[in-house]
Amino acid sequence: MPAISETYSLGLPVEIGRIDQELKKLWRESEGAVTRASLVNLAVYSEEPGSLTSNTQLMAGITEDHACRAIVIEADCHAEDDQVEAWISAHCHVRRAGGKQVCSEQISFRLKGGCATLLPSIVFSHLDSDLPFYLWWQEEFREPMDPQLWTWVDRVIYDSHGWKDFSAQMRLLESAQEETNQRIVLCDLNWTRLDNVRFALAQFFDHPASHHRLAKISKLRIDFASGFKSTALLFAGWLGAQLGWHIENAKSSSVLRFITPAGRKVDAELRERGEQPIHEIALTSGHVEFIVAHAECGDLLEVLRGKPGEKGFPQLMPAGKDDPVSLISEELMRGGPHHVYLHAVNCVRHLL
Amino acid sequence: MNRAADQPEPNPLREGISARAVPQPCTIVIFGATKLVPALYNLAADGDLPPAVIIAGFARRKKSDDDFRRDLEQSTRKFSRQAVRDEIWNTFAQSIFYHQSEFGDESGYKRLAKRLDEIDKNHGTRGNRLFYFAAAPDQFEAILKHLKAAGLNETCKGSWARVIVEKPFGTDLASARELNRVVRNSFTEEQTYRIDHFLGKETAQNILVLRFANAIFAPLWNTHYIDHVQITAAETLGVGTRAGFYERAGALRDMVQNHLLQLLCLVAMEPPTDLSADSIRDEKVKVVRSLRRWSRTEIAASVVRAQYAEGAIHGDPVAGYRHEENVNPDSQTETFVALRLFIDNWRWADVPIYMRVGKRLPKSATEISIHFKKAPAVLFNKDLRDLNVLVIRIQPDEGISLRIHAKVPGTSFRIEPVKMDFHYGTSFGKASPEAYERLLLDAMSGDATLFARRDEVEQAWAFIDPIEEPWQAKKDAPELFFYPAGSWGPEVADDLLARDGRAWRRL
Repeated sequence: MPAISETYSLGLPVEIGRIDQELKKLWRESEGAVTRASLVNLAVYSEEPGSLTSNTQLMAGITEDHACRAIVIEADCHAEDDQVEAWISAHCHVRRAGGKQVCSEQISFRLKGGCATLLPSIVFSHLDSDLPFYLWWQEEFREPMDPQLWTWVDRVIYDSHGWKDFSAQMRLLESAQEETNQRIVLCDLNWTRLDNVRFALAQFFDHPASHHRLAKISKLRIDFASGFKSTALLFAGWLGAQLGWHIENAKSSSVLRFITPAGRKVDAELRERGEQPIHEIALTSGHVEFIVAHAECGDLLEVLRGKPGEKGFPQLMPAGKDDPVSLISEELMRGGPHHVYLHAVNCVRHLL
Repeated sequence: MNRAADQPEPNPLREGISARAVPQPCTIVIFGATKLVPALYNLAADGDLPPAVIIAGFARRKKSDDDFRRDLEQSTRKFSRQAVRDEIWNTFAQSIFYHQSEFGDESGYKRLAKRLDEIDKNHGTRGNRLFYFAAAPDQFEAILKHLKAAGLNETCKGSWARVIVEKPFGTDLASARELNRVVRNSFTEEQTYRIDHFLGKETAQNILVLRFANAIFAPLWNTHYIDHVQITAAETLGVGTRAGFYERAGALRDMVQNHLLQLLCLVAMEPPTDLSADSIRDEKVKVVRSLRRWSRTEIAASVVRAQYAEGAIHGDPVAGYRHEENVNPDSQTETFVALRLFIDNWRWADVPIYMRVGKRLPKSATEISIHFKKAPAVLFNKDLRDLNVLVIRIQPDEGISLRIHAKVPGTSFRIEPVKMDFHYGTSFGKASPEAYERLLLDAMSGDATLFARRDEVEQAWAFIDPIEEPWQAKKDAPELFFYPAGSWGPEVADDLLARDGRAWRRL
C-alpha cells in the first residue's frame, strides 16, 4: 500500500476529477487489516508556503485520536495563473482504545490563482457526507467573506493570538455568523489555550462554602509569556464576564480595574513574566490567595490556596500542551456553542 | 447525569467547562481491599478529582501511613490504566492515610472520627465522607453499627456522608432485605450507593442515548416490530480463585440478579420523565416488576442450569468445575444459566427475552441483540432467513452493529445480510475511563443514577428466588446439565429457543 504510511509525504498525486476513484482504489489495494474511520470533515487552510507538509504533519498527530476526513489546503492567491494540484494519502495509527489499525484519509490541495472562487468548489466536492465540517483557518480573515463557503461550515477554528486587529477580525467573523443565522460556532484556539487554567481555578469555588469568596475578590494577577497578552486579557475577560464585573477604566491594557455588581473594585495586573502562555494566576479574596501556576516540569499545573506568602502543598493537575495538535484535539473533544467565550470577548473586546 | 437535590448552586466559573456534575471534596474511607486506588490515581492524573480528596484505608493489619502508601504505589503501578508518573504519585500519596483497627472494635471508629475531623481541618475536605465497603458482606453489619455509634453516618449542615456498597447485595430476597435494613439503620437510601460496575461501562450508558436520542428506533422498540431479544454474558474463564464465593452463589446470583437484569432494564424501560437518578430508576424497577413470575413447572421449561465439565479453551485442555480447587466434587452449583423471560407490559407483551450467562464458554463477550420481525415475504419470491438485528456490544470491543439485507451484485436477485458496524475504539481514539472511575466521581458528586436503588435490588431478588429455590431442594430439583468447557453450553439451552423456532445468535 504505497500511499498509506506514517510519514508526512503528501501521498499519491491525483487528478482533481479522479480523487474519489483514487481513494477507493487506495483502500482496495491496501494490504493487511485496516479500518477507515471518519467522524468529522476537518479542513485546514493556509497561505504559508510549505504549509502542505507542515499541516500534513499536524494532521498525522490529530488523527491519532480523532478519525476524520482531512482536507489540507495551501493557497497562493497572488499567483498569476490558476492551477490546482491534489494528492491523496492516509494517516494510520494503532488505536490506544481498541488496539486496531485505524486510518483517516487526507486530501491535499495546492491552489494557485483565484483562491476565493476555487476554495468552496474544492472543499464542497470532497466532504465526507453527513459529517460535520470544521474549517481551521490559519490566515487572517479578509473581506469579502464568501457566504457560499461559510454557510457550509459548522465550526470555524482560528487562533486570535496572532491577530493584528482583533476587533476587525471579530467583526468579519460575526458578519459570517450573521449570514448563517448564528449557526457557525467560533472556536478560538487562544481560548482553548485557557481550558486547563480555567478548570484549575474554577474548582476552588465548587463548594458552596467557597462561593462567598467570589464576591470578595479584590486582586487578580496574571503572568503571561511574551506575545500572549491577548491570552491573558481573554482570561481576565472570562473572570469578569462570569462574575458580572465590568471594566471601570484601564490605565493601560496591563493594569485594569473591574467593578463588581456590588460596586467593589477589583484590580487586575497583567505582567509579562514566565515561559508559558499563562504562567501563573493569583487571585486574592479577603485573606486568601488562590494560585494556579505552571509546575517546573511543564505539563502540570500546581494549584494551591492559602494566605499570601504561605507555602502550602500544591495539588497537581494536567496543564495541557500549547501546540497546535493538542489545542485542536482539545477543541475536537468539545461540542456545543462557546457562549462563555463570546461573553469573555465582549468583556475585554476594546482591549484586545 | 444530574445534580442531587442536596447539591449546591452551580459555580459560575464552571459554566461551559464540564457537562458533568461536579465532585465535591471529601475523605474516602475504604474498608477492606483497596483495589479502587488505581482508579482514584487515574482520576487525579487526569485532573478530575476535586482539590481536596483524602483516602483513608481502614484495616486490621498494623501499618504506618508510609507502609500503606508504598503498598498502594506497587498495586497502582501494576493495575493503573496509565503509566504512573512519580511527581503525580508523590503528590497523590500525600493524601493517603492508614487507619488501623479491627472492623468490630468500637474504639477504632471513635479514633477514626477524630482523625476525620483533623483531616477536615487540615485538608479542606469540609466534613464530607464517602465510606466504601470493599470488605466481605458479613462484616457490613459490624462496620455500619460502629460507624453510626461513632456518629460518622451524620454530618453537619452543608456536608454529606455516603456509603458505597459493592455487590453481592445479599444472596436472596430475605438477605437483601436484611442487608438493606442494616444499611438503613445507619444511612438513608439517599446516602446509599450500590455499585454495579456494569452500569459504569460506556456502552451500558450509551443504551439510553441510542434509544432516546435517535428517533428512528423509538417507533420500532416494541412488540409490534421486535421478534425477540437476546442478552449474553459469556466468559472463557473458569471459577479461578473465586471458588469459595462462587460455590455459594452460582451464575444466577452472581450475574443474572444484578448485571444482566440491569442491562435488561436499560433495554426495556420506558423513557424517563427526566434524567434524574430517581426518574431513571423508577422506570428500571417497573421493568423488573413486570417480569413474568413462573410456577415450578414453568421454571423447568424456561430456565436451564448447567455446569462445565472438562474440555478445552482456545485449544488448551481445562478441568471441569468439580475438579477446580476448593470446589465440592459433587457440587450442584451452576456455571451456566439460560432463561426465557417475558415482560408483561404493553410494550413487551409476548416478546421473548432470552438470556444466557456462563463460564468456560468459547469466547468472552457481553452483548445485547434486538431481533426485529421479518419483512412480509410477498416480494423477492423468498422468505428472508435472517432478521434485522441490532447488536449492542458491552464488552469487549464496545460498539453497535445493525444487520440489514442487501442485494448481492449481479444479474440474479440474491439477497444476503450485511452488517453496519460502529466500534468505539475505532471512532473515538481516547480510551474510556474505567467503570469504577466514572462511578466514584458520580458518588462524590451525589449522582446516584448509575447505582442500584433498594427496591431495584429487592425486586430483582423477588424474581430470582423462585428460580433458585427448587434448585436448592433436596428432592425433585430440576436437572443440572453439563457442558464441555469451550462449548456454548448444553444442548438443552439451544432447545429453549429451538422450541420457539429461534436460535442463539452466533457470537
